[in-house]
Amino acid sequence: MNDEKNNVINPTNGADLGFEVVGNDAISSEKIIAPRYSYWKSVFRVFFKKKMNIVLIALFVVLVLSAVFIPLICPYEPQENVTNATAYNLSPAKAMEQFGHSFKWMLGTGPQGNSIMYNIFAGARTSLLLAVVCAAINMTIGIVLGAVWGFSKKLDAILIPIYNIVANVPFILVVAVLIYVLGSGFWNMVIAMTITGWLGVAYFFRTQVMIIRDREYSLASKCLGTPIRRIVSKNILPFLTSVIVTLLATEVPSYISLETYMSFIGIGLSAEVPSLGRMISAAQTAFLTYPWEFWPPVIYAAMLTIILYLLGQNLADATDPKTHM
Amino acid sequence: MGKYLLKRILFSIFSLIVVVGIVMLLVYSLIKRNVIFETDDMWTKKALNDQKMYEYTMFQKYGYLTYVDYASFLKEKYTAKYGEGYESQPDYIADRDAIKNPDTYESNASVQEFKEKYKGDDIVYMAPVNYSNGGMKPGGRAYLIASHEKSVFSRLWSYFTSLVTVETKNMVKDERLTDRYIRFEKDPYSWAGFALVGSGTQHKYLLYFDERFPFIHQNFLHLNFGTSYTTYRGQEITSVISEKTGDLKKTLQQFPAKVGTDEWEETAIDFHSLQYNSSDTVNPADQENFNDRYTVYNYKKTGLSMLGNSFVIGLISVFISYLLGVAIGILMARKKDKLVDKLGKAYIVFISAVPSLAYIFIVAFIGTSVFKLPYKFATAPADAKILAYILPTISLSLGSIGSLMKWTRRYMIDQMNSDYVKFARAEGMSEKEIYNKHIARNAFIYLVHGIPGSILFCLTGALMTERVYGVPGVGGLLINSINSHDNAVIVAMVLIITTIAITGQILGDLLLAKYDPRISLSSDSGGGRK
Repeated sequence: MNDEKNNVINPTNGADLGFEVVGNDAISSEKIIAPRYSYWKSVFRVFFKKKMNIVLIALFVVLVLSAVFIPLICPYEPQENVTNATAYNLSPAKAMEQFGHSFKWMLGTGPQGNSIMYNIFAGARTSLLLAVVCAAINMTIGIVLGAVWGFSKKLDAILIPIYNIVANVPFILVVAVLIYVLGSGFWNMVIAMTITGWLGVAYFFRTQVMIIRDREYSLASKCLGTPIRRIVSKNILPFLTSVIVTLLATEVPSYISLETYMSFIGIGLSAEVPSLGRMISAAQTAFLTYPWEFWPPVIYAAMLTIILYLLGQNLADATDPKTHM
Repeated sequence: MGKYLLKRILFSIFSLIVVVGIVMLLVYSLIKRNVIFETDDMWTKKALNDQKMYEYTMFQKYGYLTYVDYASFLKEKYTAKYGEGYESQPDYIADRDAIKNPDTYESNASVQEFKEKYKGDDIVYMAPVNYSNGGMKPGGRAYLIASHEKSVFSRLWSYFTSLVTVETKNMVKDERLTDRYIRFEKDPYSWAGFALVGSGTQHKYLLYFDERFPFIHQNFLHLNFGTSYTTYRGQEITSVISEKTGDLKKTLQQFPAKVGTDEWEETAIDFHSLQYNSSDTVNPADQENFNDRYTVYNYKKTGLSMLGNSFVIGLISVFISYLLGVAIGILMARKKDKLVDKLGKAYIVFISAVPSLAYIFIVAFIGTSVFKLPYKFATAPADAKILAYILPTISLSLGSIGSLMKWTRRYMIDQMNSDYVKFARAEGMSEKEIYNKHIARNAFIYLVHGIPGSILFCLTGALMTERVYGVPGVGGLLINSINSHDNAVIVAMVLIITTIAITGQILGDLLLAKYDPRISLSSDSGGGRK
C-alpha cells in the first residue's frame, strides 16, 4: 500500500525546479504531533515544585522508617526494669546517668522503668499500622462499592436506607459499642472501625460518581456504546484521582487521632499492645510531675498526624489537573 | 412540607428503634453476662445456690430473662386453697420440702404441675448442697425455677413502652389514699405563689415555679431510661444525670405542716421534689412535719447536675465558636493571602490534624502554669468554682472554631467569585456593603445548618474535655458504663445520643429551609417558594 502511495507523486517535476524529492513518510503523517504528557509525571512536577513538600517527604520517610525499623532492631520491653524500683520515673538526665548515654534512655523512663523512647516508636508502629490497614479497607470497599452504587438503582434501594440509619449514629459511638462487644485488641479495633466506616466513603464516592456520570462526555461515551464497566474505569475513576487522594489525606491521620482517642479513654487496644494513646493515657496523671513521660508521645502523635495531613493535602492539590498549567 | 416532615420523623423513629435494637442485641447477647457481677459485693458474699439465685434475680431486674420460683408458685397455689394461714398446712410443707431431696423430688405432684405449667421454659433444679454429716452448707438451699430468656423484640417493646411515663391521679397504688385530684393550689415555696399540685400522683408538685433556670418546671412527664447496675448502683439513669451535685444549699424554710406558723428551719430540702411514700410506716418526725404521705424528697445543692455541667460548658463554647469562628473566617476571606489568612490557615491545619487530646493538654498546661487557673474540677476552690469552667470551655471551643473558620472562609471565597458580586461591584456598591449584605448572607446559608445540632450535642457532653479536667458531666457516662459493663446505661446513652443526632439534623434542615427560601425540603414541590 505504501508503494502505491509513493508512486502517485511524480518524481520528475520537483527535480526540474532544483528541489530534492523527499517523498511522503506515511507512518509519521498518521501521528498527531503533541507534547508528551504523562499525568503522574506532571503530578510530581507540580508536587516537587514546592520546596516544603520535599521537607515533608523527608520527614515522612524518617517517621515511617523509624516506626517500622526501630521496634524491629530494638524491641520494646515494658517489663525489663520492673523489678528495679530505682529505675522508675527517671527524668532524661537521671536515666542517662543511671544507664549510660544511649539513644534508648534519651527521653527518660516511665512508671515501670520502661524506656520512653522505645515505647514511642513501638506505639507509633501500632498507630501507623492501624491507620493504614483501616484506611486501606475502608477506601477500597468504599471506592469500589461507591462506583457501583453510583450506577446501580438496585443497590441504591438497599444501601440508602442503611446509610440513613448508620449516618444517624455518631461514629465514635459505633466504635465504642463494638469494641465493648468484641473486646479490645488490634484486629477487633480494625473491625470496629471498618464495619460501618466504609459506608461513609462509599456514599461520598457515590455522589462524586453520579456527578461525573451525567457529564456530557460520559453521556456521549454511553451513546457510542461503551460498556458501563469501561465508562467507570476509563471515564470516571481517573477523573476522581484527586478526590481519592483528598479523602486519603484526611482518612489516615483521622484514624491515628481516633486510635489515640479510644486508647486514651481506655476502650481501645488491649493493655499489652504499646500505643501512643495508651501511653498518653497512662501518663496523664503525671502530666505536671513527670512531664517527660507525657509530652513526647503527645508531640510525636501531633507531628505524625500533621505531616500526614499536610502531605496528603499537598498531594491532593498536585493531583488536581487544574493545577498543572 | 408537612407530609415530608411526618415521613422524615417516622423514618427517624424507625431508625432509632433499629439502632437501639441492634445495640441491645449486641450488648445483651454477645457480652458474657456474668461480667456484671465482678464488682458486686452482694454477689461475692453469697455462695453456691444462693449466689445462683441472686444472679437470676439480677438478670430479671436488668432485663435478661424472666423467671418463676417454685416457692412463689406454691405460695400462689396454697393461698388460693387455704388463704392466709397456708404456711402451716401439712400438704404445703410436704410440697415445699419435696425439692430438698434430689432423688425423689420429680415424683411430687406439685413439682410435676409446676413443670407442666412452665413447659416451654428452662426448668432449672439446684440440688441442695450438704456437708458429709448431713448439715446444709451456707447458701446450699435447694431451688427449682423456670426461667425464660427475653427475646430482643420483647425487650425492645418493653423498653420503648415504658420509656415515657405520664403522671395521673391514679398513679399511686395505695388504698389508704382516698382523696385524689390534680388542681392549682397555693405554693409557699415559689415566688409565683401557686403551683399545680397532685394527690395520687407520684410527685406532689406537677408544675411549679422557682428561682432556678428556666424558672418553670414540670413533673408530669418522666423519661425512664432504665436502671444503672454497676456505675451508679441501682439508681435510675434519669436521676443520675439530672440530680444536682455539690454541697447542700441550706436556706430558712418551713415544712408543709408548719406553713402559717412561725416555725422556720435551716434546711436544704427541696420541697418541690416531694414524692409519695408508699411504705407502710412513716417515721414520726416526718408525720409531724408533713401533713400528707408525700415525704420523699431531694436536697437543694449548690452545684449543677451532670447534665447542667455539660450543657453550660457546651453552650458557652458553641456561642464562642460561632462568634469567633465566623468572624475570623470572614476576616480571612477578606484578606485572602495576607498575613491574617496565612496565620488562620496554619491554625486550621494544626487543629484539624493534631489529635484533640494534644491541644486539650496544651491548653491545660498553659492555663494552669501561666494563668494559674484550676486544673481538675474537683480541686477548684469552692468560692471560685466558676474558674474551673474556663479551661474546659476554651478546650472545647478550639476545635469548632477551627472548623467554622475553615468553612466560613471557603464559602465566602466561593461567593466572592460569583457573578452577582461582580455585578454589585459594577453597580458601585461599597466593599463593606457587598461583604455584609451579600456575601456573608449567602455564605451563612451553609453554616446555619449546623447550629441546632451543635446546641443539642451540648447535652451529650464532651467526652475528652470532661475526662481531662475531671468535670462531672454526662460525657464520660458512656465510656464509664462501657468500662464497667453497665448495659442499661449503654443502651440509654445510645438512645439519647442518636436521638439528639437525628433531631439536630432535622432541625438543621428546617432552619436551612427557613433561612434560604430557595431550598425546599420535599422533592415534589419542585424547588422554590410555594
